[in-house]
Parts: sequence; structure tokens; C-alpha cells
Amino acid sequence: MLQAIQSKTLLLIVLLAAIPAASAADGVGDLAPIDAKDWNYAKAAHLLERAGFGGTPEEVARYAAMTPQAAVRQLVHSKDVPNPLPDFDESGAHEAGLEPFPVSRPAATDRAKETGESMGVKVKPTGNRRLQPVANKFFYWLRASRLETHRMSYWWANRMLVTERPLEEKMALFWHGHFANSEEKIRDYRKLLNQVELFQEKGTGNFRDLMISVAQDPGMLAFLDAGVNVKGAPNENFAREIMELFTMGVGNYTETDIREAARAFTGWNYTDLTFVVNPDRHDDSVKNVLGSSGNYDGVQVIDVILAQPVTADYLSAKIYKYFVRQEVSPDLRKQLGSVLRDNKYEIAPLLETIFLSRDFYSAQSTGTRIKPPVELVVSTYRKLGLKEVPGVPDFNDVTEALGQKLFYPPTVAGWAHGKSWITPGLLLARGNFGYDTLFPDINFLPPDRYPGGDYQIAQVNDKLALGFDVTTATKPDSKELTSMSMQADRDEDFNTRLASYRGWQQALQKVKPIPRDTAQLDLTQMVTKAGARTTQEAIDYLIARFVSVPVDAQTRAGIVEFLTKELGSSNLAGTETFSEEPLRLALHLILSLPEYQLG
Amino acid sequence: MKSQPQLKSWSRREILRAGLAGMCAGAMPMVFSRAAAAAANAATGNRILVVLELSGGNDGLNTLVPYADDAYYRLRPHIGIKADKVRKIDDRFGFNPGMAGFQKLYKDGKMAVVHGCGYAQPSFSHFTSMAYWHTGAPNSGEEYGWVGRLADAIDPKLTPNFIVNIDETQSLAVRAKDHVPVVFDDPNTFGRKGLYQTRALLDHVGEPVDAGNASQRYLTEIARSAREASVLVRDAWTKYKTPVDYGILPVDLPKVASLIAAGMPTRLYYVSFRHNAFDTHVQQSDLHQRLLTYASDGVAGFMADMERIGRADDVVVMVFSEFGRRVPENTSLGTDHGAANHMYLIGKNVRGGHYGTPSDLTKLDEGDNLVYTTDFRRVYASVIEGWLKYNDSKQLFSQPFEPLPIFA
Repeated sequence: MLQAIQSKTLLLIVLLAAIPAASAADGVGDLAPIDAKDWNYAKAAHLLERAGFGGTPEEVARYAAMTPQAAVRQLVHSKDVPNPLPDFDESGAHEAGLEPFPVSRPAATDRAKETGESMGVKVKPTGNRRLQPVANKFFYWLRASRLETHRMSYWWANRMLVTERPLEEKMALFWHGHFANSEEKIRDYRKLLNQVELFQEKGTGNFRDLMISVAQDPGMLAFLDAGVNVKGAPNENFAREIMELFTMGVGNYTETDIREAARAFTGWNYTDLTFVVNPDRHDDSVKNVLGSSGNYDGVQVIDVILAQPVTADYLSAKIYKYFVRQEVSPDLRKQLGSVLRDNKYEIAPLLETIFLSRDFYSAQSTGTRIKPPVELVVSTYRKLGLKEVPGVPDFNDVTEALGQKLFYPPTVAGWAHGKSWITPGLLLARGNFGYDTLFPDINFLPPDRYPGGDYQIAQVNDKLALGFDVTTATKPDSKELTSMSMQADRDEDFNTRLASYRGWQQALQKVKPIPRDTAQLDLTQMVTKAGARTTQEAIDYLIARFVSVPVDAQTRAGIVEFLTKELGSSNLAGTETFSEEPLRLALHLILSLPEYQLG
Repeated sequence: MKSQPQLKSWSRREILRAGLAGMCAGAMPMVFSRAAAAAANAATGNRILVVLELSGGNDGLNTLVPYADDAYYRLRPHIGIKADKVRKIDDRFGFNPGMAGFQKLYKDGKMAVVHGCGYAQPSFSHFTSMAYWHTGAPNSGEEYGWVGRLADAIDPKLTPNFIVNIDETQSLAVRAKDHVPVVFDDPNTFGRKGLYQTRALLDHVGEPVDAGNASQRYLTEIARSAREASVLVRDAWTKYKTPVDYGILPVDLPKVASLIAAGMPTRLYYVSFRHNAFDTHVQQSDLHQRLLTYASDGVAGFMADMERIGRADDVVVMVFSEFGRRVPENTSLGTDHGAANHMYLIGKNVRGGHYGTPSDLTKLDEGDNLVYTTDFRRVYASVIEGWLKYNDSKQLFSQPFEPLPIFA
């Protein structure tokens, strides 16, 4: 009985939340905190949507029961919230001798030719394909790092899904897009793992501390070619991106500032996973940067940059755009910049100001943000009540298709937000993600076990086993059979396709598989527990649970009618034994709505 | 011939019919699309522009090598391409060794090279400079892309599917005030999954409840466009078969060909060699040659395919990059962000040859960059006025740019 009352209350609360949170355009641009008396379920839902990855009705109700100050504090200052999550479980694919990893396959085999060894593998003394083991090793690590990175994104997504500190992960995700490094270039999952852990640890701390840590991070140094930035021959890539993308934004410095700053970073490099400064390669003379001059090193240049008023404006506006909305008035930009500056680049006070502000809860800020793909996927799982990211569909494939694959940002500028997330193609793909989650594909092949057609190695595997020679087995087209007898095994240093095949084979043995459970769902139980008795109530509940903006009456009625038809009744009682599939079909319709993309 | 009616955009009923015919009798859709192509062929109003973007800042000097210029070898002692390696097109210039396709197109008189393209006070940021090229409005904060503005100007009746942009995300270049560009990446997955009984509801797009929510309005518009376009695109791609070799990585040009072959009313296509691929700071020679081979083979294959389907007279491809690279090589056997660069226009109706003045390698700016000699918007204006026959490019760029006589 008590259970029933609670459920009914929950249903009522959730349904009431469908009414927009803000009544008027009041509060736009106003950073003053909202009144505690205005705090309610809808506002708590909005807060969790933006500062985290959305919540189940139970989670939202928990935050709604706090004061707004307490709710925001719990999210922003979350380090003391217990959050027992496992570290990334490394497969142990990295081997001694791989470092320094060659920049390319030709560089790997050239090194072996010159020195008799490369990546810890010796050249065979005589015989055909003397460099084959070297080439194999090169591809082994490329594949292993990639596969391990795919596991790592599962690990991270699982954290986002179950964390008690959602803002910690969300902010880490923000910094991953801000300091956007790709495994495609870095080719070492360990460096990216260290970066994420850095973002998780320092993401809501002090920006100066974070910026210096990133500037001295081996992943970043590798990504921006810091190794070739040396005295007498500065490479500007690093200094340019620090100013343009990481701190000030374009238009606030000159080309000379970049060249001078590049000199300050000369000699910065890394060995494997450690930051090193090579004093012989550091330009030890005066630099003129942004109107100041001195014999600066990299840290000092960062301090010169942080002393520019525009830096705090740029950063705080970027954070605001990510969490609130794309349009920032010049006045609001100034206000936000002052908050960050006055707090000496401490990020937490800025976040608290934003998440408590009247602006954040104004109509213009509510239900207007297009959810980035990773958030769409994680929040869908979270709202479904899942405790684990499903293995089917593949998280990496889904997010890649939607345009935001973790650890593979498109460029150093990271992901463009807002409308950029949506094209006709991407909108349909978002709905298809819902379908694939609710109706898992029985023909699914795990991409971390089946290389697929991209590498053209499946047939190499089969042909070698049938006794074909390497030259024949690795020929790309299907004309081998006729030419086989005429073509002897070719004499060569190594065969690239064979190396690609062996590399995959070795990587598959080393890197652990991704679990491939499908989503464990029980929508029948979900709507029953919520107290829904009719198809109308079930659809109203699902829409309120999943969608952040109102859905028009006609669309809503269409889905109700559909469910009624599929169940053969508008009354849910007695349909429990067969309602799961119809409810999933109905939920797929809801997840396919344009409105579902907004949070 | 010219009085024949223009190809109308397909109604949903026609598409369904074509699709069903495709399932029942394989011959029907071919007839259908051939007839469509013939109708499209007839009018100059069906001329097509394909823009190919080489993102990352393509090194123009190692693309079209000024092999007779000593300054080039002086400034690029290690990565300069030796005269006996280049694919010569005359006594001054030759293409990168990987660009057999471009060399042939040039020699066949189907390619215009415009030298020294750029703009005043160049930006060396990929993102800023690309935005300038996308909008055709450097330093202005222009909200819409030049292709998008062009579509709004030449097609005020808002023909659906007038702009197609094949990419993961929409390019700023195609952003329009009125047109909704069709943007997709993989035609095979450009469609909704869903069971039979949900189809009607999946296709239904309601009115936004909150008219003040701009994001919601935007999503609704995109949902409508997706519904209309996805059937056409998938259908076109499924039916498309070509014997033409586009090379290893054809930059989405076969997808464009499939839509043209299917008689889509699209007149502006936008594709990109994506992800800053041409950003060759370090050890560039092998990588750069490979990238150029892909681009060159892709364009050559595309033109051959257009010839095959009888549309070569209707199509022009324009190739550009957001900037060239600094003239002196860097110490990592690569090149850093630069300024002026070549643009290429390819098509049967292009008057092949050199246009504009090559930037002087002995008169670099203070940053060791080529000084531009042709505002890139003159090339845009040439295409807009000379090819697409819209005579008011001035209105699009808020200032006049004199077209080059590239088109007959």
C-alpha cells in the first residue's frame, strides 16, 4: 500500500515536471542566485541534465529535496562524495622496448635496417623477410593501443553512467574536448589514460595548475610535436594552440607573440610517460610575449597569458557555452570572466555561480541544449536505469557514428557544439541508436574481435591456414587461384599486409575483450512501478522520464494510440506478460523525437 | 532543347514507386533515372558545382611545383621535389609525382589553375582561415556560408535537396538562411531503423510546442529534411554501380556521382578531405604525396564517371584549401601554416590553363609567406557568374569581385 502511494506520488511529480521550469524570460543574463523557494523537481532535473548526465526520477527527487545551494555544492565540490569506482583495468599490452615508438612503419623498418633492431625486436640473421618480426611488432602496437583505447572509453563511459560525482566526469569530458588529443596521432593509450585521470582529478580545480599540467603532459607534447620545437628552430604548433585554443582565443595575440612564446617552450619534451626539459635545446634568451619581456620558460609564458584579461573571459565563456547555451552577450562574458579572475582561476566558484544563477534556470537556458553524442548515449542508459554500458550496440561505434568518439576528437579544436551535432544524417542515426539499444542486433559482431573489411586481412588468415605462400595470401584481389602456380613466394624484407595481419593476431591475444552484454531492460516493470494504469499514463510517464521539453499533443496522442493498438487495450492491467515489446517500440518512437535531442 | 522543363524534385509517391520498382524489376529504375538525367541535361539551369575542400592547409608549392624556380629549391633544400620527379605540365610547373590524374586533366584542357589565391591580413589559424573561406567574408563575423547564401540567391523557391554536404558535421560553407542542406556521411545508414508498424509515426514530425525554443525549431526543420532526403539518397546509392576507378580514398566523390546519376535536383555539392589531413608539419613528403594521390585520383575518376553517365558538360569541380604553407621548409622536414595558394577548377566547360599571377618566391612577406595576388573571392565570383550564371555575386560578398574568364 505504502509502495503504491509512493509510486503514484513519483508519477505525479514526474508528470508535473513536464511543465517548463521557467515561466518567463526573466533572469536571462543574471548571475544572481535563484531563490530557494523556487527550487523544485523540474529545476533539479535541469541541473542534473546539465551538470551531469541526467538522472532517473529517483535521483532527481533526491536533489530536489535539497536546497539549491546544497545540490550545487554536492555536484561542484564532490571530492568528498564517496565514489568507489575501479581504475582502468589495463590488459598489459605495452612491452619494454617499444619506446621510443617510431613515427611510421618506414621509420620502424629503417631503424631496424640501420641498427639491426627496432622496438625491442632483432632482425633475423638470414633468410626471406628478415624484417618481418619488426614490421609485425609495429602493427601489433598500433592495433593494441587502439583496442585498449576502445576498452578505455568503455571504462570512462561506465564511470559517467554510475558515478556519484557526475560533474567530475562531465568536466573531464569538457577538458577532453578543450585539450583535444587523438589516439590517431598519439598512438599510445597510456598517455590518453593519464590525461583523463588528470582531467578527473584537476578538472574543477585551478586552471593555472591544469594548464601547466597539460602543457607538460606527454600526450599533449606528442600531439603538438613539442619534440621538434628546439632552440634555433622553434616549431610554432604548440605555442599557437595554447594561445588560440587553450587560453585566449583567436584575435588576441600576434604572430610575433606566437613565435616568441614558441621559443619559451623550446626544449620541452617527453620520454615515454615522463615530461623532460632538455636544457641544451632550450632557448635561453629574452622573449617578448604579449607586451611583456623576460627570459621566459614555458611556465612563465603561461603566467603571462593568464595575466591577460581576455584569458579569463575566453575560458569562462567557453565553459558557460558548454553547460548553458551557445549565445553569450558581451556583458555576460565580462561578468563571467570577472568571476574566474576574481577567484584566481579557481574553476569551482565559476561553476557554482553558473549553476545557481537565475540565468541558468531562465527559459532561454532550459531544454535548449542539443545533447552531445556521448551525453545522449550515457544519459539514455542512465534514464533507462542501467548500471553498465551495454556491449551491444558497441559504444565506440555508436558514438563515432553520432560524431563524438572518445579519444578521437576530429581536430585539435575538439568538437564543435550546438547545432553542429545535428545534420539530417546524424538526427536519423540518433534514433537508430535507440533502436539498437532496445532491439539488439542478433547479427552483431564485436569490432574488437573481428577486424572487418577495413584491413583486408580476413582472407590472409584463411589462405595462410590453407597453405598458400605469403605473397599469394596477401594479394589484395581475388585472382590468386589462377596465378598461384606461376608465382613463387616473393623474396623481400617484409610484407606489410602480413605484418598487419600478425599485428592484429598478436593484439587480439593481448588485449582483453569488451563484455558484450545487451541492455538489461524491463520497461513493463518500469511503468508498473511508476503506478501507470493506462497507456496514456505509461506514455506520459516515459515522455516525462526521458524528454526535457514538452511534446506536442498530436504526437503524444499518436504514440498513445499506437501503444493501445499494440496492446489491444488502453488498460495496462493484464498486459504485463506481453507488454515489453510494445513498450519498447513506443520508447523507440520517443527516443526518435527531435525533442529528445534537447537537454 | 533548352525549353524542356527542369527536373522537378521527386514527390514522395514517385520515390516509393521507384523504390518498389527497384525491388520487383531491376530494369525500371535505370530507365527512370536515365530519363531524369536527360531532362536535367537539357537546361543550363541544371549546372552543378562540386566544391572539394582539402582541410589542414595543403602545401600548394609541393602540389604544383614551380620546378624552374631556383628560389623554390633554395627555400626547400630537403623537401623540394626535384625537377626530374615532377609531372610537368609546361616549362615552369609540374604536379606532384602522385598526381597523374591532375596532370592528365590539365593536359586535356579541362583544368584551370588559379595562382596566388588568398586574402589580405591572412590568418594562420586553421579554424579562422577556414571560416573565412567558408563564408567568403574574412574578418566579418558573417553567419552564413557562401554556398548557403548562393543557394538562397539562385533558388528563392527553396527546391528541396538543393545543397548536399557529405560529411560528419555540416560545413559552415553551406549554412544558409533559408535552405536546409542535406548533410549525411554514409548513404547506407542514412535512414531510420524501425519496425513496419512504427513507420508512419517515425516519419511524423510535429510542431514545436515552445515556439521560442530556437534549438527545437532547428531540430524540427532538420527532421523534415532528413525524412525527405534519406529515401532519395539511399535509393540513389543502392542503384549506383560504376566501372570507373576512383582510386583508394575518393573523398566521397562516388557518393556525389550516385546522386547526380539518380537525377537529384542538387546543384551545389560540398565534400571535404577531412580532419585537417593536409596539416603536414613533420616529415611531410611521403604522406603529402599519398594524400594528393587520393585527391587527384578521386577527381579524375569522378570526371570520367560524369563522362560515362553523360553529365560531364554539367559539372565543375572546385578545389581549395584554407591556406598554403610557409615557403621555407621547417627543421622537421615539414612545413608550417602559410598563406597564398592555388585553386583548381576542373570540368569540360572550363577553359584550361593558368590564371592569376604566381606569387613571387623571392618576395615573401615578413613571415616568409607567399603574398596573395588574387582574392579568392574572384574565383568564387567566376564560378557563380561564369558557371552558375548568377550575375550578382557582388550582392553575395557585399563588394564586387571581377570574375576571371575561366568559363566559355
